[in-house]
Amino acid sequence: MRWPRVAIVAAVLAVAGLGAWEAYWRVAQQYEASYRNSDGQWAEARRRVDRSEPNATVFIGSSRTQFDIDLDVWEEETGVHGIQLALEGSNAIPILTHIADDEDFSGLLVVGITPPLVFLPGIGLRADAVPHYYDETPSQWLGNKLSYPLETRLAFYNIDTKLFTVLARQSWWPERPGLPWQQPEVRKIENMRRDRQADLWDRVENDPEFNASVTGTWQEILENLPPPPPPEVAQAAFEALLEQVAADVAKIRARGGEVVFIRPPSSDWFREFERQASPREMVWESIVGAAGAVGVHSEDYPELSDVRTPEWSHISAQDKTGWTRALVRILRERMAEQGIQRPEMGT
Amino acid sequence: MLFNSLTFVAFFAVVLTLHNAPLPWKVKKTNLLLASYLFYAAWNPPFVILLWLSTIVDWHVAKKIYATDAKARRRAWVAVSMVVNLGLLGYFKYGGFLLENWQAIMSSIGVTWTAPGWDIVLPVGISFYTFQTMAYSLDVYLRRAKPADSLLDFALFVTFFPQLVAGPIVRPTQLIPQFKEPVRASRDQLLWGFGLITLGLFQKIVIADGALAPAADAVYGAAAAVPFSDAWLGTLAFAGQIFSDFAGYSTAAIGIALCLGFSLPDNFRFPYAAIGFSDFWRRWHISLSTWLRDYLYIPLGGNRKGWHRTQVNLMVTMLLGGLWHGAAWTFVVWGGLHGLYLGVERFIRERWGDAKVASTAGFRLFLALLTYFLVNITWVFFRAQSFGQAWGLTRSMLGLGAGDGVLVLSTYLVVTVLVVTIGMLAVHWFMRNRRLEDVVAATPWWLTGIVWAGMLFLIVITQGSGDAFIYFQF
Repeated sequence: MRWPRVAIVAAVLAVAGLGAWEAYWRVAQQYEASYRNSDGQWAEARRRVDRSEPNATVFIGSSRTQFDIDLDVWEEETGVHGIQLALEGSNAIPILTHIADDEDFSGLLVVGITPPLVFLPGIGLRADAVPHYYDETPSQWLGNKLSYPLETRLAFYNIDTKLFTVLARQSWWPERPGLPWQQPEVRKIENMRRDRQADLWDRVENDPEFNASVTGTWQEILENLPPPPPPEVAQAAFEALLEQVAADVAKIRARGGEVVFIRPPSSDWFREFERQASPREMVWESIVGAAGAVGVHSEDYPELSDVRTPEWSHISAQDKTGWTRALVRILRERMAEQGIQRPEMGT
Repeated sequence: MLFNSLTFVAFFAVVLTLHNAPLPWKVKKTNLLLASYLFYAAWNPPFVILLWLSTIVDWHVAKKIYATDAKARRRAWVAVSMVVNLGLLGYFKYGGFLLENWQAIMSSIGVTWTAPGWDIVLPVGISFYTFQTMAYSLDVYLRRAKPADSLLDFALFVTFFPQLVAGPIVRPTQLIPQFKEPVRASRDQLLWGFGLITLGLFQKIVIADGALAPAADAVYGAAAAVPFSDAWLGTLAFAGQIFSDFAGYSTAAIGIALCLGFSLPDNFRFPYAAIGFSDFWRRWHISLSTWLRDYLYIPLGGNRKGWHRTQVNLMVTMLLGGLWHGAAWTFVVWGGLHGLYLGVERFIRERWGDAKVASTAGFRLFLALLTYFLVNITWVFFRAQSFGQAWGLTRSMLGLGAGDGVLVLSTYLVVTVLVVTIGMLAVHWFMRNRRLEDVVAATPWWLTGIVWAGMLFLIVITQGSGDAFIYFQF
C-alpha cells in the first residue's frame, strides 16, 4: 500500500470537502461563525461569580434576557460588565435558587421572567448547564477553550448545522402515520458572543421565509404544550414557587445583594398566547409581589415596549441598545423610589 | 479525556512529538507514563491514586509470589492482589448495589433497615485496569509469566493511556516486553495508525452517536410502551450503537498505540456475522472473553469435569461477566442469557453438529441471523433501565405486546436505523473471514484515500457532542 499517497489524497479531499461545506453555509445560508452557547461557556461565565466578582451584576432568565440586554450598553451606563447566565427555553426560578444558594454572591441579580417558562417542572431545555458547572472535568474545561477559536472561525461549527440535525429536518421525510406530535427543532436565531450575549440573527429579520419558520416553530410548540395539571395541583405548585422566590430573594438580601425582576417584551401571536395562558396579574404580579422586589414590566413603559421583535419573542439586534439604556434608567428610578442602594446602579 | 475531544487532539499531538523526539528510551517511557496519568486525571485527578495503589500492590505481590515456592505463601500473596483489586472494584462499583440488595433481603424477612446513601463516583474504566493488573499477579502465580524487571515498565503497563479506560484488556506478556527496547512507528505504521484512529472515531461519532443513539435513546427513554416496530428498531439501533461505540474505541486505541510504535490485540472481529454464540464470543470484546476464559472458566474446571459441570462453569462465567458490566440485575440476566445460549449451543452441537445441513451456506446464513436475533434480545436487558422496561420491550419484540404501544420514531429515524443496520450486517458478513489489513491492501490506493477522506469529512461535519464512550461506565 502506498500510504503517503493515500494520506495525501485523504487530506486533500477532506480539506476540499470541508471548504465546500463551509462555503455552503456561509454563502447559501448566510451563516456567520459565532460561539456555540455550550454548557462549558455557561460554566465559564458562572465561575466569574465564584472567583473574582462576588458583587457582580448577574442576569438570569430565558433567551429573552440573553437577547434583549446589551452588556456593553449596560456597562456604559453602570460601569459594570454583567455576567450573562440566562439560558434559552429555561425557567429562571431554579437558577435564582442556585444563585441564592451560592454564598459567594452578594451582587445585583436581574431576573428575566418569561411567563410560560416559570411553569416548567425544572430548569427546562438547558437543564444540563448547572450540573456541568459543578462536574466539569479538566478535560472538558480545556476542550472548551480549544473549541472557541474554531467556533469563531467556522460557520459550519454550529449545533444548527450538525450533519444529522440537518438530515433530520429535511422536508423530504414523509410523516409517519400514527406518530404523535414531536417538538420541532428550534433553529439558529442568534449570533453569540464570548460573554454569552446573544444578538438576534439578521436573517430572522430579513428573510421572510426563515422568519416564518421561526414564528411557526414558536406557535407549534406553544399550541402543543402538555395540558395543565388540575387547578388545585397547579395552585399548590405555584404557591410553592412563590415561597421559593421569596426565600431566595431573602437569602440574597441577607448577604447584602439585591434582586430585581424584568419582563422583556413579546408581540403578536406570542404575546396574545402569554396573556391568555399566564395573565400578568396571576403570574408576573404574584412573583414580584412575593419577592417584594422591584419589577419592571415592558408593557408599562413605551420605551421598553415600542421595539421590534421580528419573531415575536426577541428584540431586534438594532433596538437592544436603546432598550437596555432605557431599562437601566427605569431600574435606577424604581430602585431609588424604593430606597434601594446599589453602587452598580448609581443609587 | 475522551478520544473524541479537542483536548485529546492537543494531548496526542504533544505525546507523539515527544515520543519522536531524540530522547533516551527511559525518558520517553517516563513521558508516556506521565501522559497516561494526565490522561486519567483529566477526568478526576484524585482517582489517579487508585492507579498508583493498584500498581504498587501488584508490583510487590508479584515479586513476593515469584520469590517463594511455598504454596500457602503464594496463595496468600495472590489473595492480597485479589482483595485489593476486587476490593476497589467492590467499593466503587458494587457497594451501592450490595447495600440495596441487603436492604431488600432484610425487608423480605421483616427487618426494617434503610441502607445509608452510597453517593460514590465511579472511577472511569476501573473494571478494565483492575482486571489488567490482576492478570499480572495471576500470571505470575500460575507461573505463566515472570514479574516485570522494571517498575517503570510495569507502571506503564497498568496505565498505558490508549487502552487504560476501555480496553482492550492487555496481558502482561503482550505489552510489558514491548517496553523493553526502544520502539518508534515506521512511516507506514504511523499512517495506518492514523487510519485506524479515523475509522474508530467514525464508528463512534458518526455511526454510534450521530446515526443510532437518537433512535435507541428515544425508544429506551419512552414514557409509554412502544409497539413491535419501534421496540425492534430501538433495539437494532442500540445493537449497532454499542458495537460502533465500543469497537470504535478499541480501533482508535489500537491506532493510537500503533502511532507510538506499540501493538495492541484485536478486540472485535465483526461479531454480528457470528454463527452461534461461541463464535460470537470469539468476536465480541475478545480481550474480556479470553480473560474470563483464562482466569475464571478454566480455573473453575472448564470443560474437563464432565458435561454438567461444564454447563455450570459456563453459566457462572457468563453471569459474572454480566455483573462485570454493571452493578444491576439486568446485566446479570444479560450474562445469564448468554450463558444459556452457550449451553444450548453446546448441547445442539454435540448431537447434531455433524449433520450435513449444518455446513450449507443457506443454513449458516440462517444460523447467523438467528444468532443476531438472539443477541438483540440480550441487548434489551443490557440497555433497559429496569426489568419492567426490559420485559415490556421483549414482549413487544416477540409480538406479545398489548398492541397499544405509542410510536416514538420519526420516518427519518426509521430509515436511518434500517439503512445503518443493513449496511453494518453486510459489512460484518463480508468481513467475516477477512482481515481489515488484507482488504485495505487489496483496495486501490486512490479508493482507500477517498474512503479515508469521506470518513474524516463526516466525522468533522457530524460535530460530535463529546458523548462519553458507553463502556467507560464499566
